[in-house]
Amino acid sequence: MSAPSPSAPLVEEVAQQPSRNQGAAALAAQHGLTRIGGRPRLSAYLKDLWQRRHFALKLGSSRAYARNQDSFLGQLWAVLTPLLWAGVYLFVFGVLLKTDRGVENFAGFLVIGVFLFRFTASSISAGAKAITGNSSLISSLQFPRALLPIAVVVAEFVALLPELVVLAALVLVTGEPVRVQWLLLLVAVGLQLLFSLGVAFIVARAVAEIRDVGNLIPFVIRALMYVSGVFFSIDHYAGGGLLGDILTHNPMAIYLELGRASLLEGQSVGLDIWAWGAGFAVVTLVGGFLYFWHGEEKYGRV
Amino acid sequence: MSDADAGLSLIVDDVHVKYRTYGGRRRTADSGPPTRRSRLAQHVGAVDSVHAVRGVSFTAEHGESIGLIGHNGSGKSTLLRAIAGAVPTAGGAVYTSGTASLLGVSGALMKNLSGERNVTLGALALGLTPAQVDEQRDEIIEFAGIGEFADLPMKAYSSGMSARLRFAISTAARPDILMIDEALATGDAAFKKRSQQRIDEIREHAGTVLLVSHSMSTIRRSCDRALWMDHGRLLQDGPVDEVVDSYLESQA
Repeated sequence: MSAPSPSAPLVEEVAQQPSRNQGAAALAAQHGLTRIGGRPRLSAYLKDLWQRRHFALKLGSSRAYARNQDSFLGQLWAVLTPLLWAGVYLFVFGVLLKTDRGVENFAGFLVIGVFLFRFTASSISAGAKAITGNSSLISSLQFPRALLPIAVVVAEFVALLPELVVLAALVLVTGEPVRVQWLLLLVAVGLQLLFSLGVAFIVARAVAEIRDVGNLIPFVIRALMYVSGVFFSIDHYAGGGLLGDILTHNPMAIYLELGRASLLEGQSVGLDIWAWGAGFAVVTLVGGFLYFWHGEEKYGRV
Repeated sequence: MSDADAGLSLIVDDVHVKYRTYGGRRRTADSGPPTRRSRLAQHVGAVDSVHAVRGVSFTAEHGESIGLIGHNGSGKSTLLRAIAGAVPTAGGAVYTSGTASLLGVSGALMKNLSGERNVTLGALALGLTPAQVDEQRDEIIEFAGIGEFADLPMKAYSSGMSARLRFAISTAARPDILMIDEALATGDAAFKKRSQQRIDEIREHAGTVLLVSHSMSTIRRSCDRALWMDHGRLLQDGPVDEVVDSYLESQA
């Protein structure tokens, strides 16, 4: 091996040293080089994440936009899709099955449930693929991987916004008065957003570690849909006792209840339900983020 | 970058890369004839680990252009990904003077979206700020030479056009270390010339260029030093003509 380039002897030197890591580290320090890869400290990671936030926002909103762009009506589908879903669910559950027992404004009740549940359910199922479904992006560019679950939730949130407009219109049509409490919907959705992001972090890493977890997620989401009172009043069906308490206090049931109480005059919740909603949001987000960050150095390997 | 003249821009120290792959398992010679169990392992538990880079060490200087050669599967692309920090190393360390960018923004792009939107998305993915993106958007589109196609979705582009756009976006960030994986093979003669100019420009600004190519003429033209990789190991490191000659000899 010839050594014409001035750097080549350094290679030899480094390679021959038994403690080569120290030699390379010293050489790197001498030339002002920094080591790349591995898991950065939490503070550095958060800072990096904040600096790159525009990418996550753009990636998420672009995905939501691209979803509708492949048709003639294009972005009109952002509004048409929720309208059609509302029609289907009202027909099935309001006209055919009549699950409206114990509910005053069933149309409003049902549509709020369907839209808010869809937001979290899609965040979870897309979040599960946030790492494994983006291997080409991960293996070619270096960025804090937490941006990927964030982008997933951003995309679902962008899809939720026109749904909320449809929701407000529908609730007005069904005769609900416009009240100041409507603003609480933003708080409720905000808490639900944080919760969904936390879950997206958890499932993104879990599926990256063990792919098979991804195969289980549809079942969890389906079960969650039936126990959270999307189509019917959970209070009416859950009954009393411990099981009833657990059903009515699962995070999705809480967020649906908060959303309904904000928009519908006939539904009200106590402060305890708000406390539950805030608690679930904070605990899930912080726990989920720490869990995801802890696996940061592994994500490029799948 | 205080000592940009003689300073090192990159140290690759005994780097190993392993990755896990789902969907199949290798049948090695020493595992004997296929048994019922080994056949089953192709369908259930079909996970395997590939040791793609096995202890590579080299250093690079500011302004240097290095070609990576070797047969398919020798670990060249994986090594670049490890240097870019995109693929975690299983052992060893990589030290760089600044941003190391792989000419591989394609993972961030969406074929349903217009070229212009993809420029924004890709540039943000590379770490540019929104202000820098606004500043450079027109220049990137012009360099890519996609003209009126900028408003059409990328799926309508010819393969040459999308390759040009990817090159234009990837080099817009002016990274300290630019890594190119077989990108110059695409594009027409005029674009090849322009991309060569862009690479020279990056080198002049004290950047380092790493180029993977199977075209020995491209390597000879663009690089002054070459690394020959074989089965995940570094076989030879030296001036480009010397290494390319011995590589070609081994192929004959």
